[in-house]
Amino acid sequence: MLGLVSMESSDAELVQRVLQGDVNAYGSLVSRYRDRYARYAVHMLGNREDAEEALQDAFTRAYRSLSRCEEPERFGAWLFRILVNRCRTSGARRVRRSQTFVHDEGALLNASQEHPAEQTAWREEIERALGELSADQREAFLLKYVEELGYEEMSEITGVGVSALKMRVMRACDRLRILLKEVHSG
Amino acid sequence: MKSTRGLILLVALGSAASASAQDPRISKPHLDAASSVIVNALVDSAKARGLPYTALEDRVNEGIAKGADGPHIVAVVRNLYTEMVIVRTWLGAMASADELKAAASAMQAGVPPVELGKMKQKSLLRSLVTPFTVAADLISRGVPVGTAVNAVKSLVGAGAKDKDINDFQRNVKEDIQQGAPPAAAAEARAKTSGKPEEKGKPDSIDQN
Amino acid sequence: MENIVEELQRPVRLDDSFERRLMVRVRRLHAERRKRRGWLGAAMSIAQRPAWATALAAGLVAVVTFGVIRVRQGEHVVAANGLEPVNFVLVAPAAKSVKVVGDFNNWGLNDSALVATNNQGVWSVTAPVKAGVHRYAFVVNDKQWVADPRAPRSAGDDFGMPSSALVVEDSTK
Repeated sequence: MLGLVSMESSDAELVQRVLQGDVNAYGSLVSRYRDRYARYAVHMLGNREDAEEALQDAFTRAYRSLSRCEEPERFGAWLFRILVNRCRTSGARRVRRSQTFVHDEGALLNASQEHPAEQTAWREEIERALGELSADQREAFLLKYVEELGYEEMSEITGVGVSALKMRVMRACDRLRILLKEVHSG
Repeated sequence: MKSTRGLILLVALGSAASASAQDPRISKPHLDAASSVIVNALVDSAKARGLPYTALEDRVNEGIAKGADGPHIVAVVRNLYTEMVIVRTWLGAMASADELKAAASAMQAGVPPVELGKMKQKSLLRSLVTPFTVAADLISRGVPVGTAVNAVKSLVGAGAKDKDINDFQRNVKEDIQQGAPPAAAAEARAKTSGKPEEKGKPDSIDQN
Repeated sequence: MENIVEELQRPVRLDDSFERRLMVRVRRLHAERRKRRGWLGAAMSIAQRPAWATALAAGLVAVVTFGVIRVRQGEHVVAANGLEPVNFVLVAPAAKSVKVVGDFNNWGLNDSALVATNNQGVWSVTAPVKAGVHRYAFVVNDKQWVADPRAPRSAGDDFGMPSSALVVEDSTK
């Protein structure tokens, strides 16, 4: 853990320290959010490299404009909004189809101990299916089901209305069911 | 409320501190001698050219109030002077002092002076202070220069009043704060500004 | 669907070097910022804090929601001599003082700052301002510069402390 700031410090306290010049406090914020948001970026962009780049960019932008964070106690949500935007503009989704999670050490580490090969293959199929969704549907699906946000929160982060988000989530679920059913029946 | 150049002139050679100690009106440090000479020369030039020289004095006061050092203040004033000379060339004789100030701000934000001139040519009788100010604000919030200029131009061209343009600025700002990409937010709002707000149309600022 | 979600919710761990690389960038930005502000001195960095930081130090959170409300012709205040009444408002419940400084009052030099009055955390002051274009800012607790969150931002070099743009119309025209 970087810095001397206790992990018990709230986001608002850490943000204040950063603005007062304690750059190490920013390391604590990074530690707090990087893995959770890495998950979103990886699934959204389809590969770890692009996800790391988007995440680096988001954290850097957040640092640069930290004084404009109007609700520091909600730094996480504010940062997430930046990341969602970065992922939208990244445009790197599915370029490297060959770079699947089979080659991803992280996926191997995360794979089930009992049936690692099967688990990895299943993960890979899910990722492929996610890639078949439109960016809007994938984003909405990930925010709703993987990040478990409410529709109001999703609307705040994406700037899209609740009814449109619900439609996107529904379509994403329908499409994923079809795609993954095809895989398992095929 | 506005005073003259008194503060700029209040530089005692040898001891600014003693000057401030003697003059009970001065409660903040002020400009060093060398910087004061340069700034006064710029102000005199601006006066001679018929430019809004008070804008230069205001920037000096702002710099002093914010604790900036002399060289920094000089740089800011010099830049502003240059910008005002340039925008005066492009906006022409019909531009008011306030338009020149607002245009200089827009230029500082990145709007090419030729675009400012084009806008003025099409709006000789309408003050463009608010459109220039809003364009500068949008750019500062991440809206690309071209997008901001086109949005403001389209609003002005459609006959939007200053109130409409201010409302447009507020809406774009809120959209951006909610996560909308700045360019998309500005474009979407420029299309709907002036029309009844389309509530319940969630995809009005959709990315795609 | 549950299986899909369960799989997608598995943690994704990043390389340890991610944080190292990021903090190198952040420290570089930090150093560049300090260098740019070198002439301000360390003490002035406090002035960069927005209003909420002061409130936080006091144990409260300041919510800045209001901005400039321009009093237009037809309302009870009267314009005269090219001066228009302008109402400045800032919500800062934990602030001890709020002043308004700008082009219209020599940026508070010569003790000319407009002193806002507090009404349950809402600070406001109305003052006659000459019609035209002005730059201004709130100063909270005599040290923190706060731009008006509801007003357009002022462009150009703001000496490292945020300012806002104010356009006052001449209601007599």
